[in-house]
Amino acid sequence: MTALTFTLKTKLQSKLNCSELTPDKLANLSIAQIKTLTLSSNKNAPKVKDFFDVSGDDASHIVFKNISQQCDYIGHHMKNGQITVEGNAGDFLGANMRGGQIICQGDVGDRLGDMMRRGLILIDGDAGAYCGSRMIAGTIGVYGKVGAYMGFALRRGTFLLTQTPATQATWLDCGTHTLPFLSLMFNSFKSLDSKFAKLSNTRVQRWMGDASQNGTGEILIVHR
Amino acid sequence: MNLNGVQIDDTFAEAFNMRGTRVIITAQNLKWAYHAASAMTGFATSVIGCGVEAGIERELSADETPDNRPGVSILMFAMGSKVLMQQLETRMGQCILTCPTAAAFNGVDSKMPEVEQISLGKHLRYFGDGYQTSKLIAGKRYWRIPVMDGEFLTEETTGMVRAIGGGNFLVLAASQPQALAACEAAIEAMKKVPNVIMPFPGGVVRSGSKVGSKYPKLFASSNDAFCPTLKGIVKTALSDDIESVMEIVIDGMTFEDIARSMKVGIEAACSLGSKGGIKRISAGNYGGKLGPHHFKLHEILK
Repeated sequence: MTALTFTLKTKLQSKLNCSELTPDKLANLSIAQIKTLTLSSNKNAPKVKDFFDVSGDDASHIVFKNISQQCDYIGHHMKNGQITVEGNAGDFLGANMRGGQIICQGDVGDRLGDMMRRGLILIDGDAGAYCGSRMIAGTIGVYGKVGAYMGFALRRGTFLLTQTPATQATWLDCGTHTLPFLSLMFNSFKSLDSKFAKLSNTRVQRWMGDASQNGTGEILIVHR
Repeated sequence: MNLNGVQIDDTFAEAFNMRGTRVIITAQNLKWAYHAASAMTGFATSVIGCGVEAGIERELSADETPDNRPGVSILMFAMGSKVLMQQLETRMGQCILTCPTAAAFNGVDSKMPEVEQISLGKHLRYFGDGYQTSKLIAGKRYWRIPVMDGEFLTEETTGMVRAIGGGNFLVLAASQPQALAACEAAIEAMKKVPNVIMPFPGGVVRSGSKVGSKYPKLFASSNDAFCPTLKGIVKTALSDDIESVMEIVIDGMTFEDIARSMKVGIEAACSLGSKGGIKRISAGNYGGKLGPHHFKLHEILK
């Protein structure tokens, strides 16, 4: 079994909604069926085959290749499986996510993991503004920089960062700690094709927020 | 049957169905893992008075545990699932949550037959008063509970399986020190067998019981047939040369595990031989009517 791979074949001039291409929605579909899927519910919505070459047969692992930051809503509402983005992704990556994991080896746009409830998102590059906005739970790791208003209106959930984000009044510094659960989490990363696979230091700086929502989420700044 | 000059009685140990679980306890170092595990398995010698029978199964090196810290695995057995769940939660709360640096994990393979998941930290999490955090890592749910030394980490559930308790054998010796020496040798050998515990102090029990008593309110009393000081006055099971009897009780995950541990234990006890004062090996039973599992000594030692 090889991962179900979507390779973008044209240079996008406008935003493309990729929310239909998740492991749970594509399970048990043939390549021919996947190619004829429409990419949104609009009457004149484009089909998968208009933009992507499709190969592979394992829908539990979806790979996006050659895509750009014009591709939005990758992994939207996904419930299980894995999505790997080889390159940059657009806005709302992993929005409303309910489970599974997304690994992006490049940068992502705004609203990463918006309203995410469960699952794991690891970004090797940078993330845009409102990263993890309105997040309910889950884990988001960003190896590079994060944009403004990170964790806006977040309730619970964990951010794993390697760089200190911009300070916000609603995120409160709880000091530096050695957290035992991180060794379990880092062990689970070791098999992943991500920069996070290299992490081993369980000593982190912990911020909690979003205080405006009585949130008990956390930003953990890992010392590489 | 005779082993190194020691007579092996043609009898059997009678054992019962129990519910069992395994918990992996880790800590900053083995010293603190033992503190936590000893507290959790304390006052757990017999279901008669303690609710559960529990003990430390073995030490675990850092590369054998989920969080890469040294630890120990403990086994806990009860006559029913309700008592086991209740005792596990109470002991987790009072002994593991309280112990500095300790963490607790599921120790039962989910592929074992008839595994049922029971609460390990599922309800304990409320100690966090709203600041508790759950993390789903590699398909397993963990709880992080803020405590004064940092964070208490526990897996949400552990597995409960059908198990067997009450495997046993008796060491009959010419003197008390010789009986104890044989039992110590047996326990040392039996500790190396996985999936079993010997729940009594040091693994050995001296107060074997019979069913019933002359006092109506007591349902068990001293096993007078094996009490050496009563040899002349009761219907004794002891010959003139026996002055002390000790018993080793074994609880285990399966019949085979208990049988294996009984074999190595009896062989180790008999290694002291009749010259070391070990005269007979016997076993405790109730005529075979109460417990469904019979460990026949001669068959086990084949």
